[in-house]
Parts: sequence; structure tokens; C-alpha cells
Amino acid sequence: MNMLNLTVHAMLALPLVVLAANNLLAKQTARKIALYVCAAVAFFQIASSVTLFVMYTRYGITHYDFNIFDPGQVSADYFSVNRLDLFLMVCIGIVVFVSVMLALETIKDHKRSYVNLLMCLLLGMNGMVMATDLFSLYVFLEIVGITSFVMIAMFRSKVGLEGSFKYLVVSSLGIVLLLSGLALIFMQTGTLDFKAIGESLLDTQDSSRRALTYSAVVLMISGFAVKAGAVPFHSWLPDAHQSADTAVSVLLSGIVIKIAGIYGLIVVLDLFGSLEAVRIIYQVIGLVSTITGAVLAARQHHFKRIAAYSSVSQMGYIILALSSGTTLGVVGAAAHIFSHAIFKSTLFSNAAAIHEEVGVLDVTKLGGLEKKMPITAFSSVIAFLSTAGVPPFCGFWSKLLIVIALWKSGDTVWAGAALAASIFTAVYFLRLQRKVFFGKLADGMQDVREAKNSIGFIEAALTAVTVGAGLLFPFALQYLQTAGII
Amino acid sequence: MNSNILIAGVCTPLFGAFLLVLLGKINQKLRNACSLAFVGVSLCCAVAALVSLLNGNVLAAGPWEFPLGLTFGFRADALAVFMALTACVVSMIIIIYSYGYIKEYPNQNEYYMMVTLFIGAMTGLVYSTNLIMIYIFWEISSLCCWRLIGFYREEMMIRRADKAFVVTVLGALVMLIGFMGVYGEYGTFDLNVLSGRSIPSWCVWCILCGILSKSATFPLHSWLPDAGVAPSPVTSLLHAAVLVKIGVFAYVRLFVKCFEVDEIFTTAVPVIAAVSALVSAGAALKANDIKRVVAYSTISQLAFILLGLSCGNEVGTVGGLLYILAHSVAKGGLFLCCGIVEHAVHTKDMSKISGMIKTMPKTAVAFILCALSVMGIPPFSGFFAKYLVIEAIVQTGQLWIAAVFIVGAVMTVMYLVRLFVKVFLGKPSFPKAKEGSPVMVASVLLLGVLALVLGFVIAAPTQLAMEVI
Repeated sequence: MNMLNLTVHAMLALPLVVLAANNLLAKQTARKIALYVCAAVAFFQIASSVTLFVMYTRYGITHYDFNIFDPGQVSADYFSVNRLDLFLMVCIGIVVFVSVMLALETIKDHKRSYVNLLMCLLLGMNGMVMATDLFSLYVFLEIVGITSFVMIAMFRSKVGLEGSFKYLVVSSLGIVLLLSGLALIFMQTGTLDFKAIGESLLDTQDSSRRALTYSAVVLMISGFAVKAGAVPFHSWLPDAHQSADTAVSVLLSGIVIKIAGIYGLIVVLDLFGSLEAVRIIYQVIGLVSTITGAVLAARQHHFKRIAAYSSVSQMGYIILALSSGTTLGVVGAAAHIFSHAIFKSTLFSNAAAIHEEVGVLDVTKLGGLEKKMPITAFSSVIAFLSTAGVPPFCGFWSKLLIVIALWKSGDTVWAGAALAASIFTAVYFLRLQRKVFFGKLADGMQDVREAKNSIGFIEAALTAVTVGAGLLFPFALQYLQTAGII
Repeated sequence: MNSNILIAGVCTPLFGAFLLVLLGKINQKLRNACSLAFVGVSLCCAVAALVSLLNGNVLAAGPWEFPLGLTFGFRADALAVFMALTACVVSMIIIIYSYGYIKEYPNQNEYYMMVTLFIGAMTGLVYSTNLIMIYIFWEISSLCCWRLIGFYREEMMIRRADKAFVVTVLGALVMLIGFMGVYGEYGTFDLNVLSGRSIPSWCVWCILCGILSKSATFPLHSWLPDAGVAPSPVTSLLHAAVLVKIGVFAYVRLFVKCFEVDEIFTTAVPVIAAVSALVSAGAALKANDIKRVVAYSTISQLAFILLGLSCGNEVGTVGGLLYILAHSVAKGGLFLCCGIVEHAVHTKDMSKISGMIKTMPKTAVAFILCALSVMGIPPFSGFFAKYLVIEAIVQTGQLWIAAVFIVGAVMTVMYLVRLFVKVFLGKPSFPKAKEGSPVMVASVLLLGVLALVLGFVIAAPTQLAMEVI
């Protein structure tokens, strides 16, 4: 158990250590090695989370509780790690790693600030998934949020500040909603501990108390929906994603909206899943986001905006998966979080590659880049097919799991609608492919070259993961079955 | 050992396709040869499966059990072997033709990769014993179709490639909803388990959407004529010989061989087919683009196939299957002939082309042979197939549908004669046009002769088709 204890502590402590070291070292040294250290931290997180997952399954551990504030005090467990948390931490690790790989090429100034903020963000996200009470969850959520604002605005461009400000304003609204929800719950129960609130709130027959509970749930869902960029709270997301540096947008789109938003919704489902209202809200938000995001994506001209709206649409799928309220639904959601992390990271890496090599991201000005940038073009096709749920890639399987979960819980109409909505995804990505890669070379692009070093590497690596995970997915299902999860 | 044959038959082209890109960077000839060889492996495996089948031993691989009813496996029953043999033989001839046709264009690596990948997907699809596997291979074929239609990279072509992709993928998604309905009812996607079960009519409608979109049947047919912008071997392989047969194959696999479906579909589907046959035959009579004429003709002939399969009697099923074989050979050949003409004169407008029989007599002969088979003139293979299909619908007593199809058959004769007269007869408009390269001419002649010879040995494929029932 020592290794387990050490590892989970390390996941919270390492970001802090790196953060301190980054600022203590001489500026020149830090500039040289800090990014590589971040990559190592991310890699450590991926490797150790996978190892722990396997260990949990082998020894039949469902969760591990620990605390760092009052060591030795038995009853005070501030953190808990179960297999879902570990899986999410793998996703976090992957996206952070991708971000660092992109940053190696795209970020020239403010390297030190980037590293500081990245480590804060990592800490915030790890803390969120490990938290065992709503207030800690909120605190870590704020760390994630504030770090994101600064990261978007870090380069002090006008659009960056605007996008960041918009995010800040909308996000504050979300936080207010969330905090009000927490207050309503605290008012009734006197605690925000996950273990204590569920039953005590739902057992009552008192109608006014029930009304308070319902209000709290709705407020919390709204708060997290803002963070997830779900419709109707999505307006901040494209602006924020577009204006940030690509190494930052990949973080936002690839993982932050999922940990800050979707994970919150998972927690709400966990606590209040027995309320029919929660499932209905998830269904509506999910389907509306799926369709709206895809339709809006088909009208954008900026590569990153298309990818951003695509995220709105994919968050819709994940929320729909949660609406089934079953374990299979959560597994489907987690699988889609993983697929989305991979293919959306690929797409943002493509954006970074095009931005570095061509300099513009307006799709109407690009064209026929496949000959000049074969790796980028190939990886974007694979990522697009995975997004659209075309087999045999990873995205297909996670979408299939979602549909099966919905079907099994009796929500056949929602499942059918979700499947049919995939066609919108295909439509906007076909448009993107046609404008950017598939076709005749646009004027003035004769000298464009393939993406350099780390960007090209990460594109190829992510594509391998999408294809590999797609081909091996049935085996993953088999593993999950033997592990007793599905 | 036995199971490895099927796995090799599917995986060789499926994964070998990606190897072709690397080979193409080293040596183009090697790549071309390997492409043919990979499909050849598939053909050999199909032949091995046939031999085993004739000895009363159905080859199978798997089943590999996965959770959630995802029991995967391959099984080479008579239907699968019939389709695999047809697909592989025609594909090999088309690949040989490509050696001559494609050699001067860029993106050849992608071309051979996609063609080989497609054939891998096709063989995988016919052997599949699981609805999800069928869906996976189905979508891989759509993907290949998308890249290949956009082969020349013109904006308009890419738009049409996108259209073909969207229509077929939308159909497939609706089909997947139907599959989910089946899954909801019985909790599995495994066809071995589902065999003989009855399924709700709405599922049948959903699955039909997929079938109609893939087999380009009215009202989901419009992508097929537009896809004629692809290189001719692609149109021939995907949009005449093999890809469009996926839909009708799925019809046999699911509704004839597996599920019990409502009586109503033995009338509803023939009616859809009848409308499709007439509408497209009319369009073929009006079209001026030679490839569009042949494409509309494909839609019309697919309706005949669908008619035979959906009659609900044995004659119809056998007729439909023979039609798949005869049409793959003959229509594949017709497209390739059009390709030779187009290659030589660089236009597809038949009002500008005439008298090509003077400059390319061999192609004209191949064209005649293939066209006679498509028209259904005895003793060509197309005759037997068409006869059986019409016979089947007469047997069900729906005489007016039979009448519509006879009109359709007459129109087939009209538009093909019109095409031949306009393109090949008259005063030569391109006296300097040259006959296609030897491999191209040889492959179309081979298909033309095959269309005729199959008519003489029609008993053999008929026997195999009888095994299906």
C-alpha cells in the first residue's frame, strides 16, 4: 500500500514542486529545462495512473482515501481516488503532455509563466477529481478557472484579453450559480461531504425541503454546464479557444471543459442520480448541445473555432451518456472523454502546425495542404473520422457505448437522435477537409512545409493512439468486464 | 488452420493496403503488383472456402466473445463465398486496368491503398457474422469511396465526394439505429443468435434506409450519377461492380437469410424498386454524359436485383444473386469501356463523340458484349438473371410490378443502344484518337468475354446460389 500512498500524494505534490523549482531556478536554466520537466510530470501521471488502475483491478480495490492536511487522523479523508478518477487522470496527463509538446514550438515568450500556470492547472484538475466534498471541489474548480483565464490572456494580445474577459464574466456567473446551489445544500445538511449529502436530502417528504433540493441541483447543473460549455452556456467557449495560444486552447478544449464541467456533472449524477429531473435535464442539454454545436461549427471560418464548436457538440454526447444514469453510461462518457481528448488534441495540434507553417487559420484562405503537410493532413482525417464516429476508430466505439447505454436504459429516442446527429459532425468536418487539405493547393502555399519536431511527433503519436485504441477497443471492453465494471 | 484462411483473406488486403503506401515510395511497379497480389490472396481464400463448402464443410473463424453482445466472427457460407468470388474476380481485372489508366496521375499511392483497403473491407463485410462488424466494414467502404471520388482534387469533385459520403453515412447511421432496435429486442448483435428471429417493422425500415443509400436506389440514389467524376476504374469498381452491391448483399444477409420480416416488405420493396428502375431508366435516356448514362443504368439494374431478392421466393433469390454476378461483370466492363473512350478524347459529352468504332474497334466489341449482357439478351449471363427475376415476381402474382420491370428492361435496351450508336457509330469525330493501352483493352475484353462465357456455364453459379437458400 505504500507505493499507492506515495503515488497519489505525488500527483498532488509534483506540480507544486515543479512550480516552486521553476521559480527558484535561474531564469536561463528554467527556460531551457522547465518544459521538459513538465512533460516528464505529465508522463509520470499517465504511467502511474495506468499502473494504479491495473493494480486496483487486480487487488479488488474500489477506492483509496487519503489526506494530507491531518495525517494520521482516521476520520478526515479529504481525498479519494477511484478507478474513474484514475482514468480521468490518464486523460489529464495525455492532454497536458500534448500541450507541452505544442508549447515547445509555439510558445517563445513567457515560457516560465506558462509552466507555472500549467502546473497550477494540473494541480487544480487532479484536485478536482480526487476531492471528496463539494467545497473542495469548488476550490479546485476555481484554481482551474483562474489559471485558465490567465493562460488565455497571457500573451497580452487584444483578442486574448477579450476572450479571457468573456470567459471570466460567463464563468463567474457559473460560479455564482454553483455556489448558490452549494449554499442551499449546506443550509439543509450542514455538510458538503459527498457521503453525507445524498440520502439525507432525498429521503425527506417535506415539499419545501424538496423544492430547495431541486433548486440546488438545478443551480449546480447550470454552474457546471457553464464550465462544460454546454448549450445554452456555450458562448464563451469559441472566443476563449480561438484567442488563446494553441498550446493553451488544446488544454481548454481537450481537458479543462471536461474536468471542470463534465466531472462536476458526474458528481451531481452520483449524488442526485435518483432524481428523474437530473436525467431529463441532462438529456435535453446533451441533445441540444450536440446538435447546436455541430450546426454552428459548420458556419465557422476559423480552424480553431470549428474545433471549439465541435467540442460543444461532443460535450453534448458525453452529457447524454450521463443521462442514462447507469454505470455503462458513465463508462461510455469516460470512454468518450478519452476519445475526445485524443482527437481534439490531434485537431489542435493540426491547428498549431498550420499556424506555425502557414501563419493563417482562416479556412477560406487555406487549401490543398495535404501534399505539403502529409502527416498533418493524415492525422486530421483520422481525427475527423473519429469525431464523426466512423469506425473503426476510437470515437466510434465510445459513441457506440453511449448509444448502447442509452438504449439499455430505455431512452431509445434520445439514442436514435444522438446517432442521427452524428451526420452534422460529418458535414462540418467534410467542409473543413475540403477547405484545408483535400483539394488543389491554394495560392501562395507553394513553400509550406511539414510541421516541425515536436508538433509532427505529437500528431503522429495521437493518430496512432486513435487507430490503436479503435482496433483494440473490444479488448478494452473485455478487460472492463473482467474488472467487473460493466 | 481453417479459420486462418478467412482471417488471411480479410486482413491481407485490409492491412496490406497501408503497406502499399510505403512500397509506392520505393518502387511503383512493386506497389502495383502487390496490390494485385493482396486481392489475389483474398481470391485464393475465397476459392479455398468454396472448395471446403462443396465438401460440406463451412469455414468459420471465431467466434470471439466480447461483452455487450459483440461476438465477432467470420463465416464463409454459400452467400459469402458467392459474393467474395464475384468481388475479387472483378476487382482484380479492374486493378489490372488501373495499371494503364492511372499511371499518369498524381496520388497513385493513395489510389492503390484505397482500392485495396476497399476490397479488404468488402471481403470482411461478406464474411461477417455480427451486425457491428457489418457496420464497421460498411463505413470503411464509404471512406474509401470518399477519397477515391475526390481523386482528381477539383473543388467540384470533392463536393460530390462529400455528397456521396454524407448520403451513404447518413443511411448507415439510420441503419445503425435499426441495428440498435434489434439489439434492444434480443440483447446481441450476433447474427448466429439472431437467426430466424422476427424483428419490428420500424427496424426493417431503418435498415432499408442504409441498404437503399448504399445501393443507390430511389430516393437515395442521386449521389451515384454525381460520383461519375471519379476515375473510370473507381466508378467501375465502386459504383458499378462491387460497392453498390453491398446494399443488396445486406438485404440477402439480413432479410432473406437471417431475420423474419413482415409480409408487407415483399410488396413494399418491389414497389420501391419498380419506381427506382423506371425513374433511373428515364434519366439514362435523357443524360448526355456517357458515364451518367451508365450510372443511371446501374441504378436501374440494382432495382432489378433488389426486386429479385425481395420477392420472398427461391427463384427470386437465386435470380437476384445471379444478377449481382452478371451485373458486376458486365457493368464493370461498360464503365471501363467508357473510361477508355474518355481517356482518349477527354470529354464525356456524347453529343461531341461519334464513330469511335473506327479508332477503337476492340473497345467497341467489348462494349457490345457487356451491353448485350446488361440488356439481357440470350445467351449472355444477364439474360438468365433477368429472366429469373421477372419469373419470380410473376410467381408472387404481382403482375403489374412485373409489367413495370419489363418496361424497364425495354428502356435498358433503348438507352444502351442510344449510347452505342452515338458514341461508336457515325462519322469519327476524333479520327486521331488512339485505342487504349493493351492492359486496358485486354481487361475490358476479358470482362466482355466473361459476360458471354458465364452465360454458357450459368449452371455452376446457379448451383452455388441455390446453396444459399
